[in-house]
Amino acid sequence: MIKNRLLHDVKNRGISAWFLSAVFTAFYLVLYFTERLTPIAQAIGLDSKWTLYGALYTLAVTAGGIHVIRKYKHNRYQVIRTVTVIVIQATFAFSIPLLLKFFQQPEYYFSYFWPLKMEYLTPSYIFSLPLPFIIYSILGSALLVPILGVFFGKRWYCSWVCGCGGLANTFGEPWRHLSDKSTTSWKIEKVTVHAVLGITILLTVLLFISYGTGNTYRQLANFQTLYGLIVSSILAGVVGVGLYPLGGTRIWCRFACPMAALLGLVQKIGRYRIKVKENMCISCGLCSKYCEMGIDVRAYAQANKSFTRASCVGCGICAEVCPRGVLKLENFSPPAATKAKLVQIKTAPRG
Amino acid sequence: MHYVIIGNGVAGITAAFTLRDRDPHARIAIISGESDYFISRTALMYAFMDRLNLRDLEPFERKSYDAKKIERIRGWVTNLDAGIVTLNGVRKIHYDKLLLATGSVPIQPNWLGLESVRTGAVNFVSLQHLEACEQLAPTTRRAVVAGGGLIGVELVECLTHHGIEVDFLVRDSWYWPMALAKEEGEIIAAHMRRHGVKLHLNHEITQVTADAKGRVEAVKTSQNIEFPCQMLGICIGVRPAIDWIRGVTTARGIQVTNSFQTSLPNVWAAGDCAELPNAQIEQIWYSAKRQGELAAKAMLGDTVNYQAPLFYNSAKFFDIEYTTVGAAASESFFHQVPGKDISFRIMHENGAVTGFNMLGSRWDHTYFENWIHERRTLKEVLANLHQAQFDVEFGRIPTPHD
Repeated sequence: MIKNRLLHDVKNRGISAWFLSAVFTAFYLVLYFTERLTPIAQAIGLDSKWTLYGALYTLAVTAGGIHVIRKYKHNRYQVIRTVTVIVIQATFAFSIPLLLKFFQQPEYYFSYFWPLKMEYLTPSYIFSLPLPFIIYSILGSALLVPILGVFFGKRWYCSWVCGCGGLANTFGEPWRHLSDKSTTSWKIEKVTVHAVLGITILLTVLLFISYGTGNTYRQLANFQTLYGLIVSSILAGVVGVGLYPLGGTRIWCRFACPMAALLGLVQKIGRYRIKVKENMCISCGLCSKYCEMGIDVRAYAQANKSFTRASCVGCGICAEVCPRGVLKLENFSPPAATKAKLVQIKTAPRG
Repeated sequence: MHYVIIGNGVAGITAAFTLRDRDPHARIAIISGESDYFISRTALMYAFMDRLNLRDLEPFERKSYDAKKIERIRGWVTNLDAGIVTLNGVRKIHYDKLLLATGSVPIQPNWLGLESVRTGAVNFVSLQHLEACEQLAPTTRRAVVAGGGLIGVELVECLTHHGIEVDFLVRDSWYWPMALAKEEGEIIAAHMRRHGVKLHLNHEITQVTADAKGRVEAVKTSQNIEFPCQMLGICIGVRPAIDWIRGVTTARGIQVTNSFQTSLPNVWAAGDCAELPNAQIEQIWYSAKRQGELAAKAMLGDTVNYQAPLFYNSAKFFDIEYTTVGAAASESFFHQVPGKDISFRIMHENGAVTGFNMLGSRWDHTYFENWIHERRTLKEVLANLHQAQFDVEFGRIPTPHD
């Protein structure tokens, strides 16, 4: 009973949740804006506070991931997805960059792409790297990201590869239900997330112009610094993770991530959708409650409408928690759909 | 035009929205004694288990009632006359067209001593029942739940979740013989036992005792065994909520035509409380939603000739999902995936498949419906069963044919 009450408190914006939120926020403020973590990192033999952060992040994803795998062990989509998230975090987002650095190569994260990682299409940075990195970076953003997005939706990235999504779906599991489900928040999200994408594109274009013309503009440098401060540090880190226990785990992804915005637009024209089983919904609301992106899934399910929402990251938890098996994530291709209602039975004709 | 609907369950609310979609100008009022806003009754158990808050039980945003201009009136209707209903014995509400969607109430047993119990005996079908359960749970160490149907197992799951030791008393010789064959009943029984539930088959309560304060203390069963408990869940079924209704013809439920018309002009009935011409009462979520929509269409003047479609339903017993379509038959094919709580049963008769009972995996019931309507053979259905699967990606269960 006491355990249940404590769990309720920390999962439902109780005192312990506010305390944890303060701790997470303070951690990110100290990490980004002070050097206090540097001596701690050096004391345990790490070269910088960023390596320490990477290690802690990987630990959080792994520990949270093991919890998630146990919780959803009967659901193979969840198990395979979570194992992938942990492996990608431990390799592409942690050990490979360390190894690259060890071998005097650029510290490159193969699991990140522009527009999430601004530098990877910032000409002054990317053109300073060896050729394979340049090719990977450009082809990654220009081809890999959108093509996979068309076939599988944004989930291939947002809930299988991305570190931000990885942390949300593992360490953040206890707070996923806190996302705001109102139509008002949906309206706000559409404005903010696309505004950030617009600013990201604008900044990138300006940086290319500046690089191409060989001119350096002081205002542009200020713009770039401000972008880094507000988007990468404050929104992705301090707010994004700091508010986990109060506003859910995908505040950054939903309201500000330019990558999520871009993939969301691709998703709307692509194949991915959530299929709703006809007339089987009991309107219980578990799907909406546990949607980390704040989608009111129940509104579609009870209206028998299969749907694709730009924000859906395809984590699959709505389908998992549905007690009537109403929802199914799929990469839908229209020709198969028309066949679906006319079941062709190939066996001998009936007598 | 003033439409009044009594009951804001799924039949009533579906009717209200259907009326509004078709008639943008009419006055529409919906009366409920239970709650200010429509709630999902099927989700009461998830609120009890702390997976949902009370507010999460509301399937529509509150502002949508204002947006759709649906007036909500709180209170119990006590009297029904031509053109007027009376609320709480005093307030008169005029109607042009009325829909009765009063739903169901729990069946109360006549166990010896039950009348002396003042607290501790609960049902589990309304918001008020949920409140009572939540109040009692912290002071309950042991509970008894009686009734081998769906609501019983839901309440058992909730109580178990709260660390309460539960004795689950089922009258029959396996769990839910009304819907399940013995094999499935045993799969579910074993599953419940693994969750710590003490399931007692062939037990029927005969006597209930209360302590000095009136709190339930123990029950005695037909096998003369006593089970101590501080909570007694009575889940032996529901019946149409028609006790207050006078002036329209009732039998078990409110008698309606195939267009949901009652014996009183301008009064319709739909959902759990309605009894169709063949004495059929459909008492599940899906039928209430369907009937609510069609009754509203009848009220709007459409020609409605309702025939209950092929039966289907779904449930979940702890972790085991259940889909059923169609009807039982003289023969059936049964297969259980070895070592798992997954089973397939396909009923057939005279060469044609008549029904499906599937445990532990997900199915698109519309395929099953088509196959039954098309009178497919068992062989054909088995060969194509995989097409109807609805399990998660990577999670497909091998079908018996494979």
